[in-house]
Amino acid sequence: MKNLFTRMRKLFLAMFAMVTVLSCTDLTIEGTDSLLQETPEFTGVEDVAGSLTSVYQATYGMLGDQANFFALNEVTTDETLVPTRGTDWSDNGIWRQLHNHTWKQDHGFILTTWNQLNGNAYRATEIIDPLSQASAQQAAEAKFLRAFNMYFVLDFWGVAPFRNATDPGSSIPTVLSSQEAYDFIVQDLNEAISDLPAVGPSAATSRASKSAARYLLAKVMLNSERYTGAAPNYGQIISLIDGITGEGYALAADYFNIFNPAVDTETIWYANESLGIGNRIWNGLHYNMTTPDNGGGGWNGFSTLAEFYDLFEGDANQNYMGSNQEERRGWVPDATTADNTSNWGIGYGFLQGQQYSGSGAALTDRSGNPLSFTKDLSLTNSNETNGIRIIKYHPNPMPPGVAGGSQSFRAHEIIFRYADAFLMKAEATLRNGGDATAMVNQLRALRGASALANVSLQDMIDERGRELYYEFWRRNDLLRFGQFTKDWEYKDPSAIGDANRRLFPIPLAALVSNPNLEQNPGY
Amino acid sequence: MKNNLLKKFLILPVFLLTVGMMYGQTVVKGVVSDSSGTLPGVSVVEKGSTNGTQTDFNGSYSITLKSSNATLVFSYLGYKTQEVAVDGKNTINVTLVEDSTQLDEIVVIGYGTTTVKDATGAVTSVSAAEFNKGVITSPEQLIQGKTAGVQITQTSGEPGAGVNIRIRGTNSVRANNNPLFVVDGIPLAEGSNTAGTDVPGVGANPSKNPLIFLNPNDIESISILKDASATAIYGSRGANGVVIITTKSGKAGKDSFEYTSQFSFSNPAKTFDLLTAQEYLSESARLGFNANDRDFGNITDWQDVIYRNSTSVTQNFAYNKGYKSGSLRASMGLSNQQGIVEKSQLKRFDLRLNWQQRLLKDKLKLTFQGTISDVDDQTPPLAGTAGFQGDLIGSAYAANPTWSSDPTFDNTGGLINPANLLANTQNTTDTNRLLFSLGADYQLTENISANVKFGYDKSNADTRGVSNSNIVAIGGGIQGNGRGTYNDFEFTNSLLEATMNYKKSTKNSTLDVLLGFSYQKFDRKGTNAQGWGFNTTDLDAMGNVLSSATNSVASQITGDYQQFAYATAFQGGNIGAGNVFVTRLQDGLPIDFVNLTTPSDLRALAVDTFDNYDELQSFFARVNYSLFDKYLLTATFRADGSTAFGAGNQYGYFPSGAFAWKLTEEDFIPDNVSTLKLRINAGLTGNQEGVGYGNAVRRTRFNGIGINEAGEVVVPGTGVVAFENQDLKWESTFQYGAGIDFGFNNDRLRGTFDYYNKSTRDLLFLIQSAQPAIQPFQFQNLPDSKIINRGIEFALGYDFVQGDEFTWDADFNIAYNYNNVESLSGEYISGAINGQGLSGAFAQNLAQGQPLFSWYVRDFRGFDAQGQPVYRNGGDPLFVGKSALPTITGGLSTSATYKNWSFNAYFTGQFGHYIYNATQNAFFTAGSFASGRNVLASTLTSGESLNAAADPSTRFLEKGDFVRLQTLSASYNVPMKESSWFDSVQLTLTGQNLLLFTGYSGLDPEVSSRTDGGLPTLGIDYGAFPNPRTFTFGINAKF
Repeated sequence: MKNLFTRMRKLFLAMFAMVTVLSCTDLTIEGTDSLLQETPEFTGVEDVAGSLTSVYQATYGMLGDQANFFALNEVTTDETLVPTRGTDWSDNGIWRQLHNHTWKQDHGFILTTWNQLNGNAYRATEIIDPLSQASAQQAAEAKFLRAFNMYFVLDFWGVAPFRNATDPGSSIPTVLSSQEAYDFIVQDLNEAISDLPAVGPSAATSRASKSAARYLLAKVMLNSERYTGAAPNYGQIISLIDGITGEGYALAADYFNIFNPAVDTETIWYANESLGIGNRIWNGLHYNMTTPDNGGGGWNGFSTLAEFYDLFEGDANQNYMGSNQEERRGWVPDATTADNTSNWGIGYGFLQGQQYSGSGAALTDRSGNPLSFTKDLSLTNSNETNGIRIIKYHPNPMPPGVAGGSQSFRAHEIIFRYADAFLMKAEATLRNGGDATAMVNQLRALRGASALANVSLQDMIDERGRELYYEFWRRNDLLRFGQFTKDWEYKDPSAIGDANRRLFPIPLAALVSNPNLEQNPGY
Repeated sequence: MKNNLLKKFLILPVFLLTVGMMYGQTVVKGVVSDSSGTLPGVSVVEKGSTNGTQTDFNGSYSITLKSSNATLVFSYLGYKTQEVAVDGKNTINVTLVEDSTQLDEIVVIGYGTTTVKDATGAVTSVSAAEFNKGVITSPEQLIQGKTAGVQITQTSGEPGAGVNIRIRGTNSVRANNNPLFVVDGIPLAEGSNTAGTDVPGVGANPSKNPLIFLNPNDIESISILKDASATAIYGSRGANGVVIITTKSGKAGKDSFEYTSQFSFSNPAKTFDLLTAQEYLSESARLGFNANDRDFGNITDWQDVIYRNSTSVTQNFAYNKGYKSGSLRASMGLSNQQGIVEKSQLKRFDLRLNWQQRLLKDKLKLTFQGTISDVDDQTPPLAGTAGFQGDLIGSAYAANPTWSSDPTFDNTGGLINPANLLANTQNTTDTNRLLFSLGADYQLTENISANVKFGYDKSNADTRGVSNSNIVAIGGGIQGNGRGTYNDFEFTNSLLEATMNYKKSTKNSTLDVLLGFSYQKFDRKGTNAQGWGFNTTDLDAMGNVLSSATNSVASQITGDYQQFAYATAFQGGNIGAGNVFVTRLQDGLPIDFVNLTTPSDLRALAVDTFDNYDELQSFFARVNYSLFDKYLLTATFRADGSTAFGAGNQYGYFPSGAFAWKLTEEDFIPDNVSTLKLRINAGLTGNQEGVGYGNAVRRTRFNGIGINEAGEVVVPGTGVVAFENQDLKWESTFQYGAGIDFGFNNDRLRGTFDYYNKSTRDLLFLIQSAQPAIQPFQFQNLPDSKIINRGIEFALGYDFVQGDEFTWDADFNIAYNYNNVESLSGEYISGAINGQGLSGAFAQNLAQGQPLFSWYVRDFRGFDAQGQPVYRNGGDPLFVGKSALPTITGGLSTSATYKNWSFNAYFTGQFGHYIYNATQNAFFTAGSFASGRNVLASTLTSGESLNAAADPSTRFLEKGDFVRLQTLSASYNVPMKESSWFDSVQLTLTGQNLLLFTGYSGLDPEVSSRTDGGLPTLGIDYGAFPNPRTFTFGINAKF
């Protein structure tokens, strides 16, 4: 018996020791479902191709949204607004503040966009870092993407924070001044142009090409006065755009067809890995406007101002076929032109007046009143039918060979378009003392608009508005033409002429995280 | 020589005994039992002497009296001591009564037990007899309101919904403020073991309460460790308090069976007074709408459509066996609980075995405690994140009452037909869980014992959410295609633990030292699948199609992978010959297009997987020292190492100390003071909940994948999930406090009073990264910021009547907590308010100088002449000096017995907080009516314009004070004849949530909708699943 006790005790003690000793661990985790970097220092991106795809996708995702980037570029202008419709679209005032220029440093879109643009730029920086051993083209693509994202940081906030990939996560990024950021972006783009492939009009333009980089460099340079104080080098801008033309890009006829997924000569860079078209289609359409793949209908938010709508030729009070409108104002299907196979009653361009279902029945709103979009609206106090709606991308029928239905949420959103490059060249010519009338009229003729007698700077920005509405550039254009602080119908009186509104405030959260940042004046 | 001496000593008593018998001294025999059977080990002592014995295994004793007019004293821990005068009797059978005064109770503390009398820390134990009655789904509900300073809030009335437990306030700015749960010595993993439920097209809901796998009927006691001296033994996981759940073990005594059965009936305690169809039309006409166009010709009460009177059934069966060297208890439970919203249900089947075996002359004790459970639950299409259409409940409030309640009715103007949503969605979770611990305890020497324990907790959860193609007016490309999610999670928590105990008593002191080591590993593995394009509308079949498609494609893939997908079309990436892409994290082919057989009954599938683990390694020690049984000292120390932190900061060190002075033992305290003890304590505890896996190392994964509205999949890129962060370390809470326990007249009047002061530092906060950065947010410790909780707790009990036939007692507790955030840079908006016109809206702000969950909204001053809202300060949101945190919480329970009857009532209350009525904000406004939605009758007489915006404001902020009659129950013990088959039969009738006293205008102030995924939110009532009123009839039989 005693033996048993002794043995049991030994066994138990052995077990006890085993538990304590054998289960001791050095507490390192293994990469069972992730790639873990062994050392704390940055040793390069683990998967350059995948990482580059991520930066494209993050950039495209940002562009597809109706809030944040799109809203900062468009809702802050005279082109579009999101009126509060009773209890709809109040959204804590976030849309009203953008349009009437009363945003503050805690505005959610400003913070999110700050994070998106800078985050994309940083991921690109990691790829560019020599430790990542990216190929020359991969590095050039990353430089192009960094330039695109950083350019909007500069454009929105007047400065750009910068962090090297090899800086520790806890380090505080430096802040590049306006001039420094401008130079940085220009250098990135020049390097990108030399290493990017030349790609003409094709399905492959969803990735960076020489022409996309030339376009962006031209855009940055055209706006240089706001960042450097110096007048742009118009000759260089024109030659950059000629370089784009030289690769086969050209103006294309059939305006709304350009925004379909098929290859055309105008699309210099488009997002194919984002589903942003849905936002562009539905953000203004009424709830009762539906397609086979979106039974929930539109979101009844975004509208345009009457004064912007009136920039277009055509009957001011209706936009059905035959209202003498130019092509770019689009048209609204009526009882005879609505159908259930190609348009589902949903029009193109600017939707004004009574709307119809695909079967041609006059639609009503949710209160049972006729669904007729009116020019008049109120920023704070609209009803369901106030405001003319904008729709540039259309829920296409499915491509040939695919069973019937619509494509409301397809990819293929245009980011850079040749018509913009063309108008930039015209503008550079005009600003450089030349005459842009012929160029502008060439475009207008293609769009079915009458010729202008003599193109002034005001004609130039109006033409850009008509051609490029909803394509991210309205704020940028108004700033370049000195019109961002002008009065428009719903702008808060305190903001009219307020030069501080030309830059957004640095988000409060960013100021807290980086003591090197200084708040912009006026906030 | 020595041996001889010993023998002589032994012979002496035998001699005396024999002589005594010869002289005819009395021998008394008998059996000691309690209400459930005989009791072994009861001490039987002749009063005033050292003459005594113990009952044997069968509860029998025999004692030879020294004096003929002796009195016998029967005592047993946990029972009232009983004295019986012998009076010439030869047989004295005694039934001991369990001691209801809490102060003698055994309290399970970390790695051991103590009694309330000897406890140095703020520790409360609630035993089975005191548990709340009625429909109890999870263990926390058993102790709701029983303990001062422990606030237990049901987040919704859904069966098995999450429960918020806050012990001494809220410390953390991360999602989880719940305490650590320890079940039979196994600390459970943080968070949930199931995927949250997701109704495609409606939104996601948080997971169910992870504790629902435990059958409340199997629980013996629940201990709550509140102060740092008590919780520091759990070190890094002790900051939010610790709740220790002990399950019922086999008792010595005869074999016995227990059967418990309950039948319950629930109905909504309150519904909204919405406009009827007729009122809706007449109000439409009055307000200038075209009533004919708003009239769809039906009369539908939508609340009737989605709410129901529900029934629940619970059956429990337990077998108890005690034998000489051990005991066991086996039990089985079966319950089926229906919620008052259609399609809400929780079914549980569980088996438990607790077994103890003593070996080697009782030196070795083996323990097995294990349970297997199968929980099947079903959740209706609800989501705290629901947008302008609302979820099932929200859409039912808003639905036009003239719509048809036919599920195919689709003329809704983009709004949801609740009947359509209900008929065409389904959300189920099937969770199997095995939890057991295996322990060996060896008494090595008289003073030293050692214990080894292995614990294992494994759960498998299969969650399916499907919406079929008959859905109308819901986005996401569901209509005409169908969409589903399938999540298969496997969580394993393994524990290895070794402790050594040294106990030494001298005349005046006792020393008790505990040394321990523990290693715990948390494995998490899972599959998240999405499917689109089903060729069936059968909801069960859709779930099966999705899971079998996932498994069938997965089985064809060779090698490791993170994701795979097939689709109607891919975006990005070059699609090769194959039709399935696979992402792989190893070098070589990171994205692989392979040619596999894809099921024909599902057009698109996207699957992501995860598989990772965390480890926790701990060394701990505790010393208890007691001098003269008056002065009690406790010191504990724990070092915890965790894989969650940076290499330099993996270990956290958590010391604590406490001192108690039992004044009752002092001569200067009068005799009628039965309890008087002063306690002081201080200690440091930690917290890492919510930090998640691998946030301190640079880690790369493929980005998430999804299927778009058109059934397309974007081929993902890779991204860095987290920065390296060598500095990331434990968040720590320093707490100090003092308490006093008192009792008079044998504790007829009894109570405790406690003060505490907690300060949480090195806050682990998901802060804004300094851009440019890899992630917009990252975890960091904020060294200077603090969250302060300080407060007082007071509990008082009194036995009003202590008669033989009639007893009546009451226990009352109340606690006050002050919460404040100090030295925090920046402001962090939170508390998302969802609904139409409320995208991106919020109502709370985290900032220094304010309590957590402070409301930050416009200050509403009424409507102007046009019916537009008027706000102070031009309509900017501001702090309004109100928070969602209650400052005062309390409970009152009273029980009375009369002969075979017993009655219990329990009231609970919370005060000082404000609730945001997001339901009203989203649905009950004039503008809502203008857009064709239904509203309350009162909505249209408020003076609000039909075109008014409804921005979040104090208009929707209401006092949350309430008092609830949570439970009222009556029990009857059926008198049993000696010859009866049954030992006892008890019948019980219980009502829950019978009365609610509140000024809150919504259905119930005690809800908290999870409205976003960032900072935690509290106090937002957004179409919450209402708390039901429940009546339960129960029977308990022992035989």
